[in-house]
Amino acid sequence: MDHDSLADRRAVIRVPAGHDAFADATTDAAAAGDETATADEDVTVARVGPTGIGALDPLVTATADGETAFYADPGVDLTSEVAADLADGTVGATGDPLTVVDHDPDAATLPVPEDTALGVGLRRLLRGAGWHRPTDPGDHAAAGGFADAGLEDVVTAADGLVGRGWGDWCHDEDVSPTLDRARDAFGDVAVVVNAHGTAADALLAESVPFSVLEGADLLATALDAERVVLYLSEADETARERIETAAERYSDPETAFEVVAGPAVHRATEPTMALEAIEGNHRLEARLRRPGELPVLNGAPALVHTARTVAHLFERMRAGASGNDPTDHGDTRFVTVTGDVETPATVELPEREALETALEAVSPTDGCKAAAVGGRFGGLTDSLDVSVGSDALAEAGLGTDGVVEILGEDRCLVEFAGRRAQLAADTNCGRCVPCREGATQLTELLRDIYDGDYDEDGIAELLRVMDDSSVCAFGVEAARPARTAIDAFDGEFEAHAEGRCPAGACFEPPEVPQ
Amino acid sequence: MSSDHQAGDVPPLTEDIAPGTATDPPVESDDAATVTVDGTAVDLPAGSTLLDAVEAVENGTGTDADGEGNGTAETVPALCQYGREDIGPRSTCRTCMVETDSEGLVPACSHPAEDGAVVRTDAAAAVEARDVNLDLVLSNHNLRCTTCGKNGRCDLQDAAIENDVEEPRYGVLDDRDAYEPIDDTSSFIQIDRNKCILCNRCVEACNDVQVEGVLRMEGSGSDTRIGFQNGAATMEDSTCVSCGHCATVCPTGSLVEKGIEDATTIQIPGFTQKNSVGKSYERDGSPKGPMTPKKAAERTERDASGEAERGRESAKESASDERRDWP
Repeated sequence: MDHDSLADRRAVIRVPAGHDAFADATTDAAAAGDETATADEDVTVARVGPTGIGALDPLVTATADGETAFYADPGVDLTSEVAADLADGTVGATGDPLTVVDHDPDAATLPVPEDTALGVGLRRLLRGAGWHRPTDPGDHAAAGGFADAGLEDVVTAADGLVGRGWGDWCHDEDVSPTLDRARDAFGDVAVVVNAHGTAADALLAESVPFSVLEGADLLATALDAERVVLYLSEADETARERIETAAERYSDPETAFEVVAGPAVHRATEPTMALEAIEGNHRLEARLRRPGELPVLNGAPALVHTARTVAHLFERMRAGASGNDPTDHGDTRFVTVTGDVETPATVELPEREALETALEAVSPTDGCKAAAVGGRFGGLTDSLDVSVGSDALAEAGLGTDGVVEILGEDRCLVEFAGRRAQLAADTNCGRCVPCREGATQLTELLRDIYDGDYDEDGIAELLRVMDDSSVCAFGVEAARPARTAIDAFDGEFEAHAEGRCPAGACFEPPEVPQ
Repeated sequence: MSSDHQAGDVPPLTEDIAPGTATDPPVESDDAATVTVDGTAVDLPAGSTLLDAVEAVENGTGTDADGEGNGTAETVPALCQYGREDIGPRSTCRTCMVETDSEGLVPACSHPAEDGAVVRTDAAAAVEARDVNLDLVLSNHNLRCTTCGKNGRCDLQDAAIENDVEEPRYGVLDDRDAYEPIDDTSSFIQIDRNKCILCNRCVEACNDVQVEGVLRMEGSGSDTRIGFQNGAATMEDSTCVSCGHCATVCPTGSLVEKGIEDATTIQIPGFTQKNSVGKSYERDGSPKGPMTPKKAAERTERDASGEAERGRESAKESASDERRDWP
């Protein structure tokens, strides 16, 4: 495929897409800086997607002759000056850039400044984030995109690939068996990319949508798919617009992409409820699963994978195309750090890296007493010295949805577990008793602790039953915050039963008589 | 009166029926199978579930090592299961959990009977799951059996008795402030949602068997309830044709035929089925036309209520974490 790419341009200033003031300022200044030059010819203004490091947003970079200056939140005026300098051929002289990086003048991927939060972990699937124009196929092609592939290539690349996130039908499991089943239905299969509700999936859709689309197209090509559906949350408007535009510009996909928005509720991420939403059901509840079989979308057997999973598939194909063994490439894991931090960040870590590495990309606002690992119903722990691979996380009783929620020193873990139980009771689909009534009773049992009634065995029994007998992962996961909180912080629960909150968050101080 | 009927006054097309429930896969086996339950082997035809195996053994079919059946080790209530007329399995109550050798704990009602499967009803985790789930059902049920028209012919009561439930772990719904009013507006069917266990049998009878498209499952979380597809608040304003199938399949006293709603109530002067709840919706007394209101015209209203539900839900979810007091 023949595409135009930024790598061929002399000088490029990259500004965040969606911040029109930055783009306007740069265009005018670049033109004014050298009266004989126009912005189009001399300085290219590129609107790029987020890098995932919130603390650096909005990030502006100025690139010329193998040198890139990084400016975190420079403001419109400074951006204008940076652009004017760039028109004169100068990089990094203006203002006080975060850092200046030397790199290959034709760099097709972000030159990573190792001394900043962008240097945390590695940037493999995210290598185009903050560097590529998200909806420009040329930038994706320049970074190794749009490789040719057939069924056997995809099967090889998928070997041992583990489904990412609770929105994936193969959550924490090898995707190959489902791919084999889908091959039996060759020609009739629907490919569903679930990018609903998880920060890392939305980031991929916003910044490098072609990686997601190409991953989906690989599956579609391998299976001669009938439909390819990209499913996102109504709340993630930017991600949806980018995916839509990129899908329109995708050159000759095997099957035309459909983009569908689902309601902005947590449970709509669960794979069977995602299928219900795509089919247009006005009310979302979990479907039963038939053991050993694929789910169906409007009667067609469906593969349901998250954006992360298909982007990994694309990455393995790309690695294979460049001569590496795709199955020996070493997958990465996305970790979004949020909670009591100044600005959330999403980083990409090698699978054996410890979770605590991700903390280098954020600034906690009140220390880190504990963390909830694994999303909304993550597991509580006081140690992030656990590797990010799904096996290690599962062994530690933590969740694998790639979110670490930091809880500061003054947070009460009984309150945290109680509020999450309440949230589960309020937002479950209502279908099965262990989840619907279980979450309600769990909330009550946790409230009872405040009255001195800490029924540890009763709580453990209820949590086991929610875990063992809920219809879908919502009920299974809803049990996790309370279970892990009791395991790791039993003393706090005992203290509450005695009328004390060690964090000082729960009980009103006794009134002192005047 | 047929000349009064208009084009819209016809049953809905099946594609317009919106019961609010998920499209489940078939859960029955593809082939005939031999399954062993608590040591007793039983032969089952294609189209069977593990619950069929459990029930066959319970009923004395099947043979153990001695060549005779000994029944199951433990009772499996399978409360929400109806097992007739293509209604269910809904697999909502999870009081049919059993342990299998190959897949661990599974709901027997919605698990295909695979050849060679070995099932234990008395595995500790299975017994625990069934008992806890039965108590969870009871925790949200108006347990005033003495003023209930289904006293003595209630599936939930039977299950509780068979399981020796004396004092449910989580108590019972016994807070009059939390009661929903009894819907007594229909001339033929009464709804007491305080006794509903959300088994969905009525919704399936109404939509899949009678093809009337009146009842639906609506809401989520603790607000989940049986409602009407035209968005009506009461039975009187719904498009119900009073066929009565919902009342026939209801396992509890939630949907009962009028006239026998307190048939089995223990007679205590001054204490009736209705005043045990204390609140009810009554008929407004206005004259009714033939049969039901025009259904087709009300479809749009239903669609609008679906949209509104989505909006309400995302608002509820975003507010949920902050809106509640804790503890």
